[in-house]
Amino acid sequence: MSSCAQCSARESAICQSLSDADLDRLSSAGRHQTLQRGQTVVWQGDESLLVGNVIDGVLKLSVTSAEGKDQTLGIMFQSDFIGRPFGAKTQHSVVALTDAHICTFRRSSFDNFARQHPELEHSLLQRTLIDLDRTREWMVLLGRKSATARVASFLLAMSERVGSAAEAGGAEALRFELPLSRQDMADLLGLTIETVSRQITALREQGIIETPGRRSIVVLDAERLGDCAEEA
Amino acid sequence: MNRLPSGVSTLAMWTYYPELLSTPVPRYTSYPTAAEFGDDVGSADLEAALAGADGDVSLYVHIPFCERICWYCGCNTTRNNRAHRLRSYLDALHTEIALVGERLPATARVRRIAFGGGSPNAIEPVEFVRLMVSLTQTFRVVDPVISVEIDPRSVTRAWADTLAGVGVRQASLGVQTFDLKLQEAIGRVQAGHLIAECTELLRKAGIRSLNFDLMYGLPGQTLAQLEDTLRQAAVLEANRIALFGFAHVPHLIPRQRQIDATALPDQAERFTMAARGLDLLTDAGYTPVGFDHFALPGDPLAQAAVSGRLHRNFQGFTDDPAPVLIGLGASAISSFPRLLVQNEKNTGRYQMMLSQRRLTATRGIERDADDRTRAGIIENLLCAGRARIPAALLRTASRCLAPFAERDLIKMEGDVLILANAALPYARTIAAVFDRYRIDATRRFSAAV
Repeated sequence: MSSCAQCSARESAICQSLSDADLDRLSSAGRHQTLQRGQTVVWQGDESLLVGNVIDGVLKLSVTSAEGKDQTLGIMFQSDFIGRPFGAKTQHSVVALTDAHICTFRRSSFDNFARQHPELEHSLLQRTLIDLDRTREWMVLLGRKSATARVASFLLAMSERVGSAAEAGGAEALRFELPLSRQDMADLLGLTIETVSRQITALREQGIIETPGRRSIVVLDAERLGDCAEEA
Repeated sequence: MNRLPSGVSTLAMWTYYPELLSTPVPRYTSYPTAAEFGDDVGSADLEAALAGADGDVSLYVHIPFCERICWYCGCNTTRNNRAHRLRSYLDALHTEIALVGERLPATARVRRIAFGGGSPNAIEPVEFVRLMVSLTQTFRVVDPVISVEIDPRSVTRAWADTLAGVGVRQASLGVQTFDLKLQEAIGRVQAGHLIAECTELLRKAGIRSLNFDLMYGLPGQTLAQLEDTLRQAAVLEANRIALFGFAHVPHLIPRQRQIDATALPDQAERFTMAARGLDLLTDAGYTPVGFDHFALPGDPLAQAAVSGRLHRNFQGFTDDPAPVLIGLGASAISSFPRLLVQNEKNTGRYQMMLSQRRLTATRGIERDADDRTRAGIIENLLCAGRARIPAALLRTASRCLAPFAERDLIKMEGDVLILANAALPYARTIAAVFDRYRIDATRRFSAAV
């Protein structure tokens, strides 16, 4: 049975280019997983390197160093493709930051399928290139020293990924719901929760952002937010 | 362009002294050379060296696959006729990247990433991007200069898009010769229009520094054929040209047995070809770089050569000043100030070791103070044509240097040994005087010219 017809990521996921028949075939090689907040994606089998689609929810890719330190390597949202080569044997893990749905494939079967379907192969390449850009941005973010720059970079990236246009005082603004708690943000950015809250307050007081609800952020001045993100 | 040589030509300047070229000498892409590597050096040494590395670090990533194997090639490479073989190799490479990343201090910054082979474009473009993602999330990669060796016979639209998307600015094409008959003689056929098309595609993809690898001394090659190839390379405005002498060493590279050796130019002819190459390319506006590279004046390599910032590493002459080069992939060599160490060459064993999460370094050599002094002299002689020689070394070397001094190929200014312009074809032979491991090197290396 194919659940692709009901998939909420259908319109924007990597598989959007496939016909219904091809989608059925691909779907039969895939596996759906429902994840609860905090749950680690379970890989099937030791050797299987997995790729997958985020149907909904937010996940983080992280790596645990030899000293047991956890570092986040990226965040994935709805319709993002989890295309990096990792699996049970590596120290990478994918953890759900919210309740989430994903569909996963063995990388070898996905790649083989892509090789026979040039339109999917093309989207796979484009997605992986986007993934490289996001990885680069994320590593730059983590390399920033100041808490202001890290929080500002993060909010900027979030507004670009999940923001939608909003009106605020007649000016154009970007609004989004933070899918994460302040604590999650602090963990991702390597900061304390107090620092994250202080930075958000400071950005609000400068008129750069608004925080109409507990999780809502409105970016009023993306340019100044960008300047903050560039701070050393 | 294509002016006839005028004024002081190299042919007039270079004199052929067969007696000075009778002993084959190494190319000195490292000192000590790989011929001195022993199996007393291994992963523990690599781990210690990685732990001590900081500052600028360069990466070399080896992709030992080609779609087709050329008869002349001495690289560690096999045909990629089975997709799963490629995949197993890439999985191992990703594991190696993670293992090396764990051992490298956070203070180390990666400024350059070079992909070589084989042909990096023998893998799927998406696999190349996945390698870049892995490297980016593992190392502290800062504004990297990324270079890729390319087989022009397998450059697709997807590959061009990938190079553009990744931000690759430097590429090197294996051209060897534009002459179809010579291509057949070495088992590498690629029509001239292919190189032109490929060049255009790579330019559009944002490649700013494009290198052509070219060869003289090919079986049956005439001076006219060489000149034609060099002119075509200049017309296509290759930013860099590496003009190598073809090394026919079938006792070392069995696949070369397919090449008809009866038509190989003799050493005097090779000497003339090398000289003509220098003449023609300098006339076409190229700056000579070391003894076999050329670059257009705007290229960073030419600027490094002119301003005395040229270096030599496993990829040849380079403007890369990083003291540490980490080799990733089967047979890749890592270079540290005090250590040279090579990964397992056999891809099967390489993959097996990485499946056990072990680094694969199996051979190498520690560089003691004497090695480091000699390495500095050899690099300076080859890159800058001059080197300061400690008195003790000069005493032991003077007898071997005498034949060069008598022919005005070298002179001393204080304690600095200076090579004359006319000494270029003898540079490797002169450098070998400072190589304490070269006692009887016959048969082990290719001729200097």
